[in-house]
Amino acid sequence: MSTDQVPGPDAGRRLAPGDVHNVRFHRATMVHPGYVDDEVDRFLAGVAQEMAALHAEKAELRDQVHALQAQVSGVLTPPPPSEQAVRLLASAQQTADNYVAEAEEFSRQMTHDARAQAEEQLRRARENAGAIIQAAQEAATRLVGSPPAQSPAGERTTHELEEQVAYLKAFARATRTQLRSYLEALLSDVETEWGKADPAGVPQPPLRTSAQRGDGNLAPAPRNVAAEVSATDGS
Amino acid sequence: MDIPAMRANFAKAAAVGDEAPLYFYSHLFLSHPATRALFPLSMAHQRDRLFAALGEVVARVDDLDSLVPILQQLGRDHRKFGTVAAHYPAVGASLLATLQHFDDDWNEALARDWTAAYGLVADVMIGAAEESVDQPAWWEAEVVEHERRTVDVAVLRLRPSQELPYEPGQSISVETDVRPKLWRYYSPATAPRADGLLEIHVKAHDGGPVSTALVRRVGVGTVVRLGPPLGHLTLDAESERDVLLVAGGMGLAPLKSIVDHVARTGPPRRVDLFVGARIEEQLYDRADLERLAAEHNWLTVTFAVSADKQSPLEQGDVGGVALQHGPWTNRDAYVAGPAPMVEDTVGRLLAHGVPAERVRSEVFSPSRPSPTLEGEVTE
Repeated sequence: MSTDQVPGPDAGRRLAPGDVHNVRFHRATMVHPGYVDDEVDRFLAGVAQEMAALHAEKAELRDQVHALQAQVSGVLTPPPPSEQAVRLLASAQQTADNYVAEAEEFSRQMTHDARAQAEEQLRRARENAGAIIQAAQEAATRLVGSPPAQSPAGERTTHELEEQVAYLKAFARATRTQLRSYLEALLSDVETEWGKADPAGVPQPPLRTSAQRGDGNLAPAPRNVAAEVSATDGS
Repeated sequence: MDIPAMRANFAKAAAVGDEAPLYFYSHLFLSHPATRALFPLSMAHQRDRLFAALGEVVARVDDLDSLVPILQQLGRDHRKFGTVAAHYPAVGASLLATLQHFDDDWNEALARDWTAAYGLVADVMIGAAEESVDQPAWWEAEVVEHERRTVDVAVLRLRPSQELPYEPGQSISVETDVRPKLWRYYSPATAPRADGLLEIHVKAHDGGPVSTALVRRVGVGTVVRLGPPLGHLTLDAESERDVLLVAGGMGLAPLKSIVDHVARTGPPRRVDLFVGARIEEQLYDRADLERLAAEHNWLTVTFAVSADKQSPLEQGDVGGVALQHGPWTNRDAYVAGPAPMVEDTVGRLLAHGVPAERVRSEVFSPSRPSPTLEGEVTE
């Protein structure tokens, strides 16, 4: 750190920021006040040279950065794939696509067949059900006997059917009532006659008696049918 | 840009059929392996779509007025696939490699033109995608109800995690983890509601990967992804005319959302809904429609069967049955269902005297994988 010598343009030595900061110019003579011109000029020349060198270096570095950037981006962009690789991947993809397509086709066939079968089963079940209902209706018609003259076409209106249903219900109730009274009579016979009798002393088979009496007992019952139907409704 | 030369070049690639898109995707996946995850396992349909779309772009390249909206729609719609701006240069490089591969006369001028053209396409798509960033790229939605109504129809209720705005009659694409990267369009059967719940009707069509999964494998609690709404069968909310709705099969969903819209927001209008099916069992939403009809005195619902002689319902094609109940000449008419049914019904309505501008229709094919370039989800 010599203050004897003011740094100037010099091929051997670079001008550093410290040099500029620390520069001390000598006082000139009393006749000529201020710094020594030579020294100031020499220093400025040195600064100019240094700036020029820096500019050149900067340009050089910028070029280098550009070149390196290009190189880096070239590395990041992968080289175009080879024809062979493209063909290989293409055929692998096609194989995969074919498997998927086959699986979809298989599933399509399966569901299609399953649906067709299901619909066929449903159709048959419906037909069966229809046939059963029809048979039941025919059977009902037969049981009831040929319907009265008001339905010659065999087709009955709802009203007629309702009438028949009501008739059948009443008939069923009447029959039930008759049967019940018959059975009750039978039971009372059993209780009163057969039960207390000495089996050894029974002159006639009581069952026959009951049956005979039952026949006799049936006679008044129909007269009461109407009354009993309303009295025992729902029994 | 030498457009005729570019078209001639594209025609060479298009002429080799599946080879060209196969080459393109293989090239893309090898250069940028991460892009493979954006696509479904089977690429067969994807390949068809790519070149169809590119063909449209090439055909319209000198008609920017019609091309730009298409590209914007494509850009917006691609967000749900997970496409980001960084993917565009990768696709461009593989596209150029493909066009070069199938053209022996490839030259520098073509390379320059295609690079420039692709740059424009990408800019428009990226721009549209970036403009819609205020909207999610997709919505997650939880299945909160899953009802099997028939052997192959399910009604699902979904609760999106964020508000999903749509118009009654539009369609929304759905993707599940069970069938990754396969998006299919379904129409909500509900108008937008305050609680965000939306109902979709799914029919498992034979061999359909997504519909069968939605009907048979998805259940309550499953989270699905929904894409932005699309479609043109939207209710004319300005009109105060009474409404005639004719639905065939799964076309019921968008029309039910119109009923729901009238019920929620009015204005009060009479609505006659005709629902057709082949057999009575296929009327999968009958109970709910009958409930609606009982609740709203402005709504009349009529069911028709075309191949079920035993049924006590009205017999015949739903379009014909609807016409018997006319006249409908002062109505706004909406028709949705399978292609023959829509064609038949629209024809009958026009012949009946309903002005064409008041008949709106949408064909519902069994599977609706992707919209056309015009943004229609009909196949």
